[in-house]
Amino acid sequence: MYRYDEFDHQMVQARVDQFREQVERRLSGALTEDAFKPLRLMNGVYLQLHAYMLRIAIPYGTVSSRQMRKLAHIAREYDRGYGHFTTRQNIQFNWPELVRIPDILQELADVEMHAIQTSGNCIRNVTADQYAGAIVDEIEDPRILSEIIRQWSTFHPEFSFLPRKFKIAVSAHEQDRAAIRFHDIGISIERDPAGAIGYTVYVGGGLGRTPFIGKCIGTLIAPRDILAYLEAVMRVYNRFGRRDNSYKARIKILVHEIGEEAMRQEVEAEFAKNKSRGHLALPEAEQARITAYFADPEFEDLAEDCATFDDARRDNADFDHWVRQNTVPHKQSGYVIVNVSLKPIGGVPGDATDVQMDGLADIAEAYALDEIRVTHEQNLVLPHVRKQDLYTVYQKLCDLDLATSNLGLITDQIACPGLDYCNLANARSIPIAQQVSERFASRERQDAIGKLSIKISGCINACGHHHIGNIGILGVDKKGTENYQLTLGGRPDEQAAIGEITGPAFTEDTVVDAIETIVDTYLDLKIDQENFIDTYRRVGMAPFKERLYG
Amino acid sequence: MAKQLIKNGALVSDEWTLVEDDAPLTEAPSIVSVNRLLHDDALAERNAPLALILRAGTKTGEDVYALAPYLDRLTMIAIEFPVFRNGRGYSSARILREELGYQGELRAEGEVLYDQLLFLSRCGFDSYHIDDTIDPAQFAKALNTLPDAYQPSDTHNAGILWRRHLSS
Amino acid sequence: MAQHATKGARFHAITANRLDNGEVVYFHAQKNWQSDIARAAVLDGADALDALMIEALSSRFSQTVVDLYAFAVDDPANHDANAPVHPLSVREIIRAAGPTIRLDLGKQADAPRA
Repeated sequence: MYRYDEFDHQMVQARVDQFREQVERRLSGALTEDAFKPLRLMNGVYLQLHAYMLRIAIPYGTVSSRQMRKLAHIAREYDRGYGHFTTRQNIQFNWPELVRIPDILQELADVEMHAIQTSGNCIRNVTADQYAGAIVDEIEDPRILSEIIRQWSTFHPEFSFLPRKFKIAVSAHEQDRAAIRFHDIGISIERDPAGAIGYTVYVGGGLGRTPFIGKCIGTLIAPRDILAYLEAVMRVYNRFGRRDNSYKARIKILVHEIGEEAMRQEVEAEFAKNKSRGHLALPEAEQARITAYFADPEFEDLAEDCATFDDARRDNADFDHWVRQNTVPHKQSGYVIVNVSLKPIGGVPGDATDVQMDGLADIAEAYALDEIRVTHEQNLVLPHVRKQDLYTVYQKLCDLDLATSNLGLITDQIACPGLDYCNLANARSIPIAQQVSERFASRERQDAIGKLSIKISGCINACGHHHIGNIGILGVDKKGTENYQLTLGGRPDEQAAIGEITGPAFTEDTVVDAIETIVDTYLDLKIDQENFIDTYRRVGMAPFKERLYG
Repeated sequence: MAKQLIKNGALVSDEWTLVEDDAPLTEAPSIVSVNRLLHDDALAERNAPLALILRAGTKTGEDVYALAPYLDRLTMIAIEFPVFRNGRGYSSARILREELGYQGELRAEGEVLYDQLLFLSRCGFDSYHIDDTIDPAQFAKALNTLPDAYQPSDTHNAGILWRRHLSS
Repeated sequence: MAQHATKGARFHAITANRLDNGEVVYFHAQKNWQSDIARAAVLDGADALDALMIEALSSRFSQTVVDLYAFAVDDPANHDANAPVHPLSVREIIRAAGPTIRLDLGKQADAPRA
């Protein structure tokens, strides 16, 4: 993974010092809240329902054991002993005190972490496939480009006061695990017919109150030109994005209003100017320097088969189930990708205690080549585990309550913090997730249902990504009570789809029954090995609507 | 809210006067709108100092590229930031400086916060109409809050991403 | 300034977050900010609310807090004298107590056992 050089350290340290000074000016009254707010937002400091909230960047979801231990320490020393992993591969702490946040940022800087640009109308954390560098058939490690974009976008003088926030995601595989078509810019790393790598750029995807699938604006951009291209997109957005209405200010609205072709032309015009000046063509040496940080770790030369592993699977049904459900084949013989579920039955999706974070750091250091990933579905990954260590890893995860065997199943839900924590929410989302989880707790039932994603948002801002859940739940305020609207058929991947509303909303008391009705309808209608999403695409909304509303 | 003008790091008095579209022009240094610049033929013969105010707009802004043929007439261009959150002016400044080669004075006008001064200077501004509660002595400090930049820009010829390999 | 007053509600209280640590606080009739909703000043009618709001917003009192606003509460006469302040919205109920899914966090965890 990337290691800061002297430049990177200086920049992060300068930002810590600058923010410390800004906090002092705020506390002394020299800075008003109006002037301070954009500054604190650019350092990831929100004011939420009960307290401040600090969002810490985890660039492209990659973190070392040393960094994870620091996050555990921050949870313990500065917060209430836990953190929440988010749908943008970041981590949030819910109870930091403003006066102590400069100290938190200093501790983070000591392990090459920061909270820069995790909020505000600027370019946010760049997210990428959580299996980067480990999955079979990857075109190239998407974190290389993600790191280049991270540096280019940090403290960008032209793009720090955009019309609204800006989110970029990168995928380098046929299967898109980064939901690139639902980002302001989504980049797909591909090969052209001659085999050379090119970057295909989608613009104007997004969720929120008006979901859109991104339009393919640029095809197979040469790696050397990508920053010239991205700067072109950003400049068009900064110049033409609406400033009159913050609900209409995302780039998805601009693309929708001027049209895909007009957008393409504007971007091409700026791109041509940038290319001819050549100032944004990254030097080969820098490209190579950053690429080297993402070279394969020291894999051992192992056979694919491992007798002790096979024995353990045969002897332990739970372990066998966990292997089938939570692990993924690795590109390197004898290794496995391990998914660590943060969705225990009845638990809070995406939360981890300091004890769990420390424990996972130990496991990563001893058994996973010192690397952990955060997924945008609020889970964690150990990307490089030897098969021969898998049973030991499993047992250690069990000791930490991190071995829930439900990846991709109905209890592996996404839930935003909702009205339990968030100033913007209309309804609570976590208790719904807990009730759904408990209703479907039975392993047999979960296996029978198979792959089914439920995503829950507590308000129309859609931080729970409900639009792209196979089943989406949106919390709404109906005359002062919490109600829940359901959508069906969403998909975040390369077959991108936005969920359709079923009909009238449900109450807190009836929504879990409604989910059960939907699931039963699917099980009645499914053919062969169809997953829920396949059945829905085949039969459409009608049968579900009929069963829900009579 | 009273303003002060800082140019090249020092407090200076403002020599310019904003002239409305329908008001007559004088020989005094005058700031006109884009509309007047593009349509008032009298300006073509003007020898007295002339400046432009570039409004940010909310829904749509003004087209900076359309100014290209007029740049050599303009001693100064004031770029408006109606609220500090409206960052259109940063792009306008960079286009003027880096694409169109504008050499005259670029002034940041409107709501300009102390903590924005660094980014403004990197986009090519050299004068700032800021709130007079800001101590001019702090100005130099504002420009040094970050030691360097990752990106190339007007004041940093190459950013860190480009400069890492120049010294080696 | 956010406004969470229900249209037509008669009674209101005033709340904010402490600037230095983010804690939820309520404006007391004695003109200070304190953390227990039970001791929040309840204002009967728009005039009384406006009058106390002006005080709360004045530089004397507003410098130590952020995001100050009024919210609707039930008639205190409907409740026990020890706990007279009851928000009308779910949001303010949760804000006064803490996250419903973590009863060990927030003000609910500090409250003395009933």
